[in-house]
Amino acid sequence: MTTQNQDILIPEITPELKRGPQWLQDKRNSSKESYNNTPIPRRGLHLWRYTDPTTFVVDKAEVADATFRTDLDNVIESELALLQNGHSSAFVLDKAGRDITFNLADNLVKDGIVISKLSDAVETHSELVNKHLYSQVNSESGKFEAMNSALWNDGIFIYIPDGKSVAQPIHLLRESGMDNSAQFPRLLVVVGKNSEVTIIDEYSGGSETQSDNMSLTNSAVEIFGDNDSRTRYISLQRNSEGAKVYLAHRAKAQQNATVLTVPLAFGAAVSKQNFGVTLNGEGADSKMYGLLFGGGHQHYDNHTLHHHTVGKTTSDINFKVVLKDKANSAYTGLIKIENKAKTCEAYQENRNLLLNRGCKAETIPELEILNEDVICSHGATIGPLDPEMIFFLKCRGINQTEATRMIVSGFVATTLKQVPDDLKEKIAEFVTKRLEDI
Amino acid sequence: MSDIKPILEFKDIHVEVEGKEVVKGVSLTVNPGEIHAIMGKNGSGKSSLSNALMGHPAYTITNGEAYLKGKSILDMEADVRSRAGLFLAFQYPLAIPGVTVANFMRAALKSHRGADADMSDFRKLFKAAMADLSIDQSFATRYINEGFSGGEKKRIEVLQMSMLNPAMALLDETDSGLDIDAIKIVSEGINRFQNENNGVLMVTHYQRLLNFVKPDKVHVMMDGKFVMTGGPELALKLEESGYEWLNEEKTGV
Repeated sequence: MTTQNQDILIPEITPELKRGPQWLQDKRNSSKESYNNTPIPRRGLHLWRYTDPTTFVVDKAEVADATFRTDLDNVIESELALLQNGHSSAFVLDKAGRDITFNLADNLVKDGIVISKLSDAVETHSELVNKHLYSQVNSESGKFEAMNSALWNDGIFIYIPDGKSVAQPIHLLRESGMDNSAQFPRLLVVVGKNSEVTIIDEYSGGSETQSDNMSLTNSAVEIFGDNDSRTRYISLQRNSEGAKVYLAHRAKAQQNATVLTVPLAFGAAVSKQNFGVTLNGEGADSKMYGLLFGGGHQHYDNHTLHHHTVGKTTSDINFKVVLKDKANSAYTGLIKIENKAKTCEAYQENRNLLLNRGCKAETIPELEILNEDVICSHGATIGPLDPEMIFFLKCRGINQTEATRMIVSGFVATTLKQVPDDLKEKIAEFVTKRLEDI
Repeated sequence: MSDIKPILEFKDIHVEVEGKEVVKGVSLTVNPGEIHAIMGKNGSGKSSLSNALMGHPAYTITNGEAYLKGKSILDMEADVRSRAGLFLAFQYPLAIPGVTVANFMRAALKSHRGADADMSDFRKLFKAAMADLSIDQSFATRYINEGFSGGEKKRIEVLQMSMLNPAMALLDETDSGLDIDAIKIVSEGINRFQNENNGVLMVTHYQRLLNFVKPDKVHVMMDGKFVMTGGPELALKLEESGYEWLNEEKTGV
């Protein structure tokens, strides 16, 4: 392995570059050119101060065929049970962006809702795909977004036609391969006018320990919410402890559309995730409720963006971080309001709880407000648990450890209100487990 | 002279906050069935005393002894003091986001009963205790003290007291911020709780609450010391003449 600290170009002969119709191949090739011509970002560069960019460089030629974790079958079984019991509308298993299988509730198909391989959608819904694919995450977004744009093998396409509502969540399980694997999953979601959908986008698997052969997952997500649509998108990153994760998400909310984005992160060794919503029509509203809980030596680097391009739009971000052991997190939150976007409201809050001395958090609020006719606020805190809260609980007989668990569970619960019940329980269990050894 | 064991007994207690002595040697004995009141102006040290007795880490007891039912408590953490039977109702109860009143109460009661205790009676007890204090059942699933009015917070404090049923209750300015109806409900709660086996120590600025909960003894605190002790009439005299009267009384002017 000679991948350390140096750039590795995507070779001309990479088979992914030949996938799809000509227009797509052209896009892939121009993305490849862009990747190859873009130097590795310097560490001082904006958004790269906290994570070494060479983490996400991969020597494609040396990536082995993926093998997967052994308990995957059990997971699949319980997910299919949820589908059968009507707790979900669809379960999609995306193995390393290569082998994607679909299980859909009958009524979805009847309603004309499309959940398919992106490679199929390129043919069956060519107009929609052509219009929206690469419209938000593309070679101009950054070097590693260009990498995904060139190298995605296959992805997932979700289309909710106008006036349709999907009652139960659509669950995507994006399974990464173990050591030496690299995957470039891609998701395109188009939510029609006055339609409604909830998507749980779960990332799991990957390398289980840190080594020179850690798995890389580089994912791109594009969501388009047409007028009056209601989209809930929950991103759950619970990759294994040796995984490297790079995720770029962008959503667009048209007139009176609402978008709820819930970035949840618990896994991976290194995880750099970027969530952004563009408010692109009057009355559009975006809410983002993030939560990450790091332990061990986990490293998190999260960005959020609320971009108001049109007036009379509203946004709210509440991003919570809990850290223990030697975990660290950097959060950069940008609110950008264009000059012509008058009478917008935008709020941002980032709270960081440090459960012991060894962990570390950074918070970087950024505001680019180009007109004065807006209401905007941001707040951030970093610190240990409030000793007064601990004292209050102790005064009622609850010991220090149990008090800590209660306060953290409470801190987390206010975000978990936003996710469907089945998932909420799963995450609460996970949080309880992570709090066992404090 | 008697074999009655005091519920709470403390001797020559000195308390420091941030290196400054705020309680300068106070002693008190609360026998079973007794209600005591400590009255004093803001800054007299009365809240510091109750926080220190409960084991707040910011209030250091630099000298003195304190016993709960004959057992020394000063080496105990606050949670151990609570399980031993000491209770502090807060002047400003804190909000804990995401923790519901029901979950909080269940955890508190469980800690008192022990980890393996049967909690199957919890719902019934909890509902009854809420009804006694005219607390709407919807509060069970609200986050504790978050967005509660002053009166609601104090009622929830008394709810905790009645469910944990401590041997000794310290009530820190439990009447502050309450309108007259709320004072009645809260004081009924205190009176229901109070019996011949437990002790109550109320810390208050005004004697208002003492109209509803009759103290056996009133101690007046000034500048970190008890300067006068008497019966309930002392509270009335203070209400009438103000703390200035006491200054004159004390200094003989």
